[in-house]
Amino acid sequence: MAERLNSEHLDDLIALMRGDGYRVIGPTIRDEAIVYDELRSAADLPWGFTDQQGPGRYRLQRRPDRAAFGYVVGPHSWKRFLFPPREQLVRIRRGSDSPQWTAATDDGPGLALLGVRACELAAIAIQDRVFMGGPFVDGRYRVRRERCLIIAVNCTEAGELCFCDSMDTGPEVQGDYDLRMTELGTELVLDAGSARGRELLERLPSRPAEDSVADRAQAAIERCRRSMGRRLDTRDLPARLMGNLDHPRYQDVADRCLACGNCTSVCPTCFCFTISDTSGVTDGEAGRERSWDSCFGAEHSTIHGAQFRPDVRSRYQQWLTHKLATWTAQFGTSGCVGCGRCIAWCPVGIDLTVEASTIAAGAGDPVPLPPVQSYAPRAGDGLVPVPARVLEVHRETHDVVNLVLQAPAGYAPEHGQFNMLSLPAIGDVPMSISGSGDGVLEHTLRSVGNATRALAGLREGAVVGLRGPFGKPWPLEQAVGRHLVLIAGGIGLAPLRSAVRETVQRPKDFPNVRILYGTRSPDDIIYDRELLGWIQASHLRAHVTVDRGDRSWSGNIGVVTKLMRRKHTPRSGLYFLCGPEIMMRYALAELDRLGIPAEHIYLSLERNMKCAVGICGRCQYGPHFVCKDGPVFRYDQIASIFGKVGF
Amino acid sequence: MDSSNPVHARRPRLGVFKLASCDGCQLTLLDCEDELLAVAQAVDIVHFPEASSSLMPEGPFDVVLVEGSLSTSEQLEQLHRIRKNARALVTIGACATAGGIQALRNFADHAEFARAVYARPDMLPILAKSTPVAEHVSVDFELRGCPIDKRQLIELIAAMLVGRAPVIPNESVCMECKRRGAVCVVVTKNQACLGPVTHAGCGAICPAFARGCYGCFGPRERPNTRALAQHMRAQGLTGREIARSFRLFTAYAPEFREESERHES
Ligand SMILES: Cc1cc2nc3c(=O)[nH]c(=O)nc-3n(C[C@H](O)[C@H](O)[C@H](O)COP(=O)(O)OP(=O)(O)OC[C@H]3O[C@@H](n4cnc5c(N)ncnc54)[C@H](O)[C@@H]3O)c2cc1C
Ligand code: SF4
Ligand code: SF4
Ligand code: SF4
Ligand code: SF4
Ligand code: FES
Repeated sequence: MAERLNSEHLDDLIALMRGDGYRVIGPTIRDEAIVYDELRSAADLPWGFTDQQGPGRYRLQRRPDRAAFGYVVGPHSWKRFLFPPREQLVRIRRGSDSPQWTAATDDGPGLALLGVRACELAAIAIQDRVFMGGPFVDGRYRVRRERCLIIAVNCTEAGELCFCDSMDTGPEVQGDYDLRMTELGTELVLDAGSARGRELLERLPSRPAEDSVADRAQAAIERCRRSMGRRLDTRDLPARLMGNLDHPRYQDVADRCLACGNCTSVCPTCFCFTISDTSGVTDGEAGRERSWDSCFGAEHSTIHGAQFRPDVRSRYQQWLTHKLATWTAQFGTSGCVGCGRCIAWCPVGIDLTVEASTIAAGAGDPVPLPPVQSYAPRAGDGLVPVPARVLEVHRETHDVVNLVLQAPAGYAPEHGQFNMLSLPAIGDVPMSISGSGDGVLEHTLRSVGNATRALAGLREGAVVGLRGPFGKPWPLEQAVGRHLVLIAGGIGLAPLRSAVRETVQRPKDFPNVRILYGTRSPDDIIYDRELLGWIQASHLRAHVTVDRGDRSWSGNIGVVTKLMRRKHTPRSGLYFLCGPEIMMRYALAELDRLGIPAEHIYLSLERNMKCAVGICGRCQYGPHFVCKDGPVFRYDQIASIFGKVGF
Repeated sequence: MDSSNPVHARRPRLGVFKLASCDGCQLTLLDCEDELLAVAQAVDIVHFPEASSSLMPEGPFDVVLVEGSLSTSEQLEQLHRIRKNARALVTIGACATAGGIQALRNFADHAEFARAVYARPDMLPILAKSTPVAEHVSVDFELRGCPIDKRQLIELIAAMLVGRAPVIPNESVCMECKRRGAVCVVVTKNQACLGPVTHAGCGAICPAFARGCYGCFGPRERPNTRALAQHMRAQGLTGREIARSFRLFTAYAPEFREESERHES
């Protein structure tokens, strides 16, 4: 039932919501743009102003009338309020024996978002999926979402950069709103979409809208739809983009793109963030906070010893393919709602719709994406570590230690899963579980940087922060009764170790296990005593090779692939690989040469991880998240992107 | 050095040194009123001529902060001594990391300047170029800025004390500009702004006050200066103006130097 209200009563609406304890956020003018900020009264609204936009261009202008919502979208989006640019996630109490990590909560007032456009509501729905639709729910985001009131507004005029019609997100507001308005001259036509909205509407001096008025509102929306100049052909777009990863246009755009990250920052759906620990100079409180990040920055794709998106070309490719292609496999929708912000606020005016159309029209065969996955919800705040005591520390090599930790109650990981390990004020890092059972769990870590150095320096009795277990395990049960070949390089033996131990305990199920393990030098061999034990098991063969031998070494010398050529590698067998990516690339080429089908090969991947629960975006690997869809992948599922620059 | 980490019972020994510079970066440390006392408690300030009389230039040091560029042969000798006595060397500011404003002379004939100013230019121990510290000795961390940012300095010290990697990302100024909600002056006002190619750290002060970034923090990782210069031309700037905008506090940083040279004529 539509109602009509004179626009000047927007002041009453704002006052009502403020009276109810909401912090009202809406459009207002600052620095020659219409931004979103706190509104104290309707006087703060941009009455009589509009925005004129083009690629890399935005101008605030007067309108002939006194419309309150006579503009389209500006530099801000609502994500600034629902997913703030910087936010504390965890409070940390330092202290030698009993550090503590507790969830930081958002105790601020509820937000009333006034003037939410159709495309923006669609964007909020997309971020809802990101932060609340995976295995873990982001508690702070959920609290803000549940408390927030949405006063949406239909568009009656399209901006030059709008293409919501193509993306099926506008111009008419659909989905979850509390109130919805259409501005007609000096009046608003309103309807409620929720009980809270109805209750608000009842308190406003509105009166029922005659059919003719409601029709006029609908006609204005339709006129807006028809007048929208910009389009994007979305038919089969994901597959066409994924089929044209080598399109020369990427180099062309890389020559223009500054990799500045403005597009990702203004985009209402981009969700990437980084996490870091903070502390002051004196002892005491520390914290863990997140802040907006971008795939245009180097850190996003850097791990120790590798940078997966080294150039502007591959960073632009990540942005474009994520927004318009891989997002659909991750979340079941496009990552773009057609708001045009990334076009306006790109300092050099790079136009996503032009780049995407050009690239998608390339000659490459379409590459379909995997279907969208759903995840079983898991309890708790996946971002808050629990304390775990170090029971034993074993030095394996000069830079590798094995930590035996007391497992948290009820902790039951599967082989190949990982934890996030942290120390207060230092930060957390992904670490495979190299052994577990009997109330303990083990991690074997190589000291390569600050966090691993601090962890490697721990003594018995120290306490670490632990989150997990995360990720998909090795499919060990599929190997029952078959040949199982485990190929490891360096520290890559750690994620395989608990699987090996299981096969040792169940020789009948795993009658033929072969381990091919390569390290740099004899001094770098980890688990040497255990290896000797494995070699003695009748159903298991372990072969070790080193890149460089020494005088005491009488074993194999050379890379692991050399070993593969000499050992029995049946086609029906199952193959698990873990090691540096370059080593896995050679091993895969060798397996391919030996005729092993890709479906029989599993490998464990590494990417930069911050959250480990699928919401920070750092570990994206094409359509996958390494933290929740991996780290163990079946080779055929990633073959089209494995080893390609940019992934 | 946090109590929960491997014990470092003694406080780390800190030295602060100055080469060719204006003292502004050292002053930033003195300017950390609220935190200075805490810093003085957490570290043992062994050498800091600007602030105290306890002078032990020979160290040894766990960390030294070096301000200033290499402009004279004496400074060069001094730098090698500092490096020898320090476990970690951190350069602070545009002079130490990129040669500073005085590196503008690198683009001209410095002998001619010397003749114009001094009666006996041959007595001057001046090096032909003003160069950054990293051109001569290994550097463990570079803190950018002209001057450096107080919060980043405190973060560096706090991170060093616990052993974490300092949270000083090598991203663009645009990222900070957007996080703070500033409105882009390139897009709304057609102003020139070095933000997209400049290392973050200042918190995007200039754009927040409605003017373009001057590039005080020097080039960020992988700066596409060529694309930005191309855009500046499209905005209506002349080659000279483009060259000058890349040639300010960090003119001698390789990426800015090369870009300015492309537009010199
Ligand atoms: C699923 C998974 C399992 C792993 N298992 C093991 C293991 O069993 N044993 C082991 O020694 N190492 C393992 N690693 C690698 C380990 O996480 C890195 O060596 C570690 O993050 C480096 O952190 P740092 O602070 O010591 O080093 P720095 O190089 O200083 O790293 C700085 C930051 O970069 C990120 N980073 C750097 N390297 C990596 C990396 N390889 N992966 C993800 N993020 C990275 C981290 O966020 C870190 O905070 C694993 C990585 C992944 C993704
Ligand atoms: S990709 Fe661009 S047009 Fe699409 S939602 Fe993001 S900012 Fe808007
Ligand atoms: S990876 Fe995707 S979500 Fe993250 S910043 Fe890039 S485009 Fe946005
Ligand atoms: S497309 Fe534009 S806004 Fe995005 S990173 Fe490149 S230059 Fe910056
Ligand atoms: S004003 Fe400058 S720093 Fe800010 S977003 Fe625009 S180009 Fe980047
Ligand atoms: S999404 Fe955050 S680590 Fe995977």
